[in-house]
Amino acid sequence: RLYCSTDRRTNQPSLSPKQLQPGRDLSLQALLDMGFTDAQADQILEQANRSRGSKIENAASMLMTLFVLGLNTSSVVKVLQKCPEVMYVNGTHLQQRIDNLRRLGLLEGSLQRVVSHYPPILTLPLKRVNMVARFFREKCAFTVQQVTEILRDSPAVLQTDLGQLEYKFQYAYFRIGVRQPEMVKSKLFRVTLDEVRCRHSFLERRGLYQTPDKKGQTCIINPKLNDFLNVPEETFLNDIAKATQEEFEVFQKLMAKEWQEEDDEQERDTGA
Amino acid sequence: TKWAGSLPKYPATNLALQNFDATYKLQLGEQWPSVRVSLLCEQKYGALSNNFSDNEGVIAHLQSQGCRDIVSCALDVGTRGMAASSHDKPTSIESITVSPDMPTVSLSPNIKCLVFPRRDVSRFKPSRPDAHGLLGYYLMDAASILPVLALDVQEGQSVLDLCAAPGGKALVLLQTQAIRFLHLNDISWGETERDTFDRVLVDVPCTTDRHSVKEEENNIFSRVRTKEKQKLPQLQLELLLAGIKAVRPGGLVVYSTCSLSQLQNEYVTERAVHLAREELGISLQVADLRPLTQLFQDTFNFAPDPYLGQLVLPHLTANFGPIYMCKLQRLN
Ligand SMILES: C[S@@+](CC[C@H](N)C(=O)[O-])C[C@H]1O[C@@H](n2cnc3c(N)ncnc32)[C@H](O)[C@@H]1O
Repeated sequence: RLYCSTDRRTNQPSLSPKQLQPGRDLSLQALLDMGFTDAQADQILEQANRSRGSKIENAASMLMTLFVLGLNTSSVVKVLQKCPEVMYVNGTHLQQRIDNLRRLGLLEGSLQRVVSHYPPILTLPLKRVNMVARFFREKCAFTVQQVTEILRDSPAVLQTDLGQLEYKFQYAYFRIGVRQPEMVKSKLFRVTLDEVRCRHSFLERRGLYQTPDKKGQTCIINPKLNDFLNVPEETFLNDIAKATQEEFEVFQKLMAKEWQEEDDEQERDTGA
Repeated sequence: TKWAGSLPKYPATNLALQNFDATYKLQLGEQWPSVRVSLLCEQKYGALSNNFSDNEGVIAHLQSQGCRDIVSCALDVGTRGMAASSHDKPTSIESITVSPDMPTVSLSPNIKCLVFPRRDVSRFKPSRPDAHGLLGYYLMDAASILPVLALDVQEGQSVLDLCAAPGGKALVLLQTQAIRFLHLNDISWGETERDTFDRVLVDVPCTTDRHSVKEEENNIFSRVRTKEKQKLPQLQLELLLAGIKAVRPGGLVVYSTCSLSQLQNEYVTERAVHLAREELGISLQVADLRPLTQLFQDTFNFAPDPYLGQLVLPHLTANFGPIYMCKLQRLN
């Protein structure tokens, strides 16, 4: 413990180059030197050992990269807990991925928050991340700034099937009739497609939502997407749908059946 | 034929919805959104047990899946409130009292209609024929047994079903096994005898609201059927008056539709009562259906405070109806 010299102001270990030599063995002492507590160090070692066969000599440089990014020891532990795969990402790749996220507009603060909140983002190859970003710009006509916001609010899109993302975008654009800025604001991509369709169809069938016509006009005043999607279910039911939870529960069951049948039908048609 | 193609192609289901939005929002107020979403979602069925088939196993199986017979449940509700009645011999009709200040209701325990509980969205499998080719049950809107129950058929009575096709309610009537004589009538048969029947069911053609918002085929809101739709209330009135003429003095007439429309429900009934008195010299009394509906409150969602008759409102947790019914007793 004597070696554990933590900079109290930032709660970050102050590191000497020797301590963090890339490729250096991951020993208990090394971890303690980095500022992890006994328990944290044990946990990390245990995780590392579980993966015999994987190249854990990267672990030290990986940890260094995370410290340099600005995460403190407890954030690092949380990251590794949420996503043990980060352990095996080599330090150079990790640095490239982080730089790439910066290039996509995730700046200090946002970047750290995204990584802590969604560590799998560090395991994705550059190719994948850039493909998804390009998809949002080219297929869905989001601006660069909007794509950054989507990645910040809903990093899980990076691991979602592009066909599914496209379907959700089209559903929002054509069926709900909202434009890109409103999609970003309402955090559309954070909500599952089923939830989006359920809330929208529920309002529509209750006569409280209409798809705008070509000129963007409707006979009733539609609630804003942000007000019916980006709110807890209770608020949605009480303030917007004006319905009971029982009704919505049954509705969700019925929708699941309807969609299942539509899918089956489509399969039959294309299969024939 | 070029001009025909230039007519705007509005789906009839959309026209129906627009019409309902305009009229039912006023009529039902805050309830309309709940009814609307229910009409647009899968309806619930009831399985009417066919007593003429060998179906004990089938019914037991349905019960093991969680279905319950709404008629025997209603009988239980009724008997809970009163001293044990004398159940010595099985009868085709049982009388029950809901509360001391209300008239008794008679229900035939022979009518068995199974439904899945509230909020349960399970479906019935289509019934399969037994060894004699008879179906064990028929699937129908469970609320459509209510007009038949309201008819209050007693042992040995003669019954006229004035608009019988395709025969759903006639099947329910037959299950009572109490009827001496059942006369089925539909569009192609002519005049029926006057002052004859103990009971008359007038289940008229209407805007069939649930069908009209869901199916294009045979839709009364299609442009080509505008005239027919406009004439519905007049036709309904004529049919109800024909029923009133056919019933004997003291007998009962039940008028029913599967629409929410006041124009087709309350207004037709009111007008018929008025015209019967003014032009036929027949006085009618509107019977109170509350003793009946109270027994079925757990199953159906009834409209609060109807001013004439009773209306089953579709609701997602009990997606039956709409069924309107009004019961009239001929006094002279
Ligand atoms: C709502 S359906 C009756 C359904 C039937 N009671 C059942 O439960 O299966 C109305 C029926 O009225 C019939 N109808 C129409 N015009 C009629 C008329 N002028 N006289 C008798 N029946 C008529 C139609 O053919 C239609 O079958």
